[in-house]
Amino acid sequence: MIRIGNASGFYGDRLSAMREQLEGGELDVLTGDYLAELTMLILGRDRMKDSSLGYAKTFLRQMEDCLALALDKGVRIVVNAGGLNPEGLARKLGAKVGYVTGDDLKTRFPEALTANAYLGAWEIAECLDQGAQVVVTGRVTDASLVVGPAAAHFGWARDDWDRLAGATVAGHVLECGTQATGGNYSFFTEIDVTRPGFPIAEINEDGSCLITKHDGTGGAVTVDTVTAQLLYEIGAPEYLGPDVTTHFDTVRLDAHERGVRISGTKGSPPPDTLKVCLNTLGGFRNSTTFVLTGLDVAEKADLVRRQLHDAIGEEGLTWTLARTDQRDAATEEQASALLHVTIKTADPKRAKGFSRAAIELALASYPGFHVTAPPGDGTPFGIYQAAYVNRDEVSAKAVLL
Amino acid sequence: MKRPLGTIAGARSGDKGGDANLGVWVRSDDAFAWLNGFLTTEKLKELLPEATEVSRYELPNLRALNFVLHGLLGDGVASSTRFDPQAKALGEWLRSREVEIPEELL
Repeated sequence: MIRIGNASGFYGDRLSAMREQLEGGELDVLTGDYLAELTMLILGRDRMKDSSLGYAKTFLRQMEDCLALALDKGVRIVVNAGGLNPEGLARKLGAKVGYVTGDDLKTRFPEALTANAYLGAWEIAECLDQGAQVVVTGRVTDASLVVGPAAAHFGWARDDWDRLAGATVAGHVLECGTQATGGNYSFFTEIDVTRPGFPIAEINEDGSCLITKHDGTGGAVTVDTVTAQLLYEIGAPEYLGPDVTTHFDTVRLDAHERGVRISGTKGSPPPDTLKVCLNTLGGFRNSTTFVLTGLDVAEKADLVRRQLHDAIGEEGLTWTLARTDQRDAATEEQASALLHVTIKTADPKRAKGFSRAAIELALASYPGFHVTAPPGDGTPFGIYQAAYVNRDEVSAKAVLL
Repeated sequence: MKRPLGTIAGARSGDKGGDANLGVWVRSDDAFAWLNGFLTTEKLKELLPEATEVSRYELPNLRALNFVLHGLLGDGVASSTRFDPQAKALGEWLRSREVEIPEELL
């Protein structure tokens, strides 16, 4: 059995989770997911400003705090915090570090701000086989962070489909951190989720596992909390990944005194193509929310809409009127509706001018004019697309420093 | 008896680029037999009028249905002007819709 924990479900997750997982009990490997489609865009913009960046900076802070503790306890760290610059991050860590590279396909997709193939588990396994204490990757699938250490530990073969599928399910349950232990959970009133603990998978040689968490941590691991996370961000029951196709309709969950046992998972060969996450800059956006209180809400909305169109033009504006107002209300807030407006434009000056135009209406528009927060200068926005490339067009590499 | 679907069903939703996914599950085999018959693609569109192109998948082993709502989020979270651009609360919205639930399941 190998005990694999998770300490991060996204870039910005609980900073102290790394320490909590290391101090809370026994672990063999601690993983963390820092990358979402949106995060790649944020890191892409970091990299534009400074080419030595492009990784998840919070992970570096966690390592300053916890690397010595992890080494002392013999817990190996496996994270995708490398983002767009795994080598740059790896060189900042004082340990035996391996990194995974080869996901960057920007030369193949030159029009994109970021273009990264979703790599799999085997380069992670190779780093661990060569003795890495810390493994830093760029874009690998979230579940591969768990599959890699399990495959290395048990010496699985690349066609051990059922085992790889079992570990993929464990990885999918872990990848969003506390979403497996009662966070973002429909039946939250039935458990105490004040401070849910981070999840752990105890994975067996056959790929089955026990989902659990350290004793004394909050939240819960139940068949329902695990079911909720299994359903997160999936499509068809045949879940395609770079390592294996996992059949979610074969997964069996059983309650266990320390959590939930997962077994029965079937796997089959993965597709011949790898998915690529593409982000391109779409333009600039800005937004504000007008508060419309009391009588004549529809007419008030019409007036401000007409005025803003006059000032900066209609093109690229999206309006939503949320009729949160109630008749004859006892509080001002309950008497108010919210009129949201967003501008999307190729012209950064127009995105900035939107703020000025909106605020210039303050004394010249509907009675009771105010906004929930003053609009800013506008920000660039990205467009996400998935692409697919043949496996032989991607050369993933494991590098040990 | 007309009750919120969430009286007996849990849900979790999220984004995949411009698509949203919405998983719905119940806690007994009887409840799943009802849910599987009741929550068709057409019924989902009726409860969430914003949904247009929908794929539906059955996961009886988890007593669950998974829906993919294609194109709900435009060009993805960074670009979407939808209220809740990542569809995080789509599931909780569905759970709050009132539907006829057989009394023996309540």
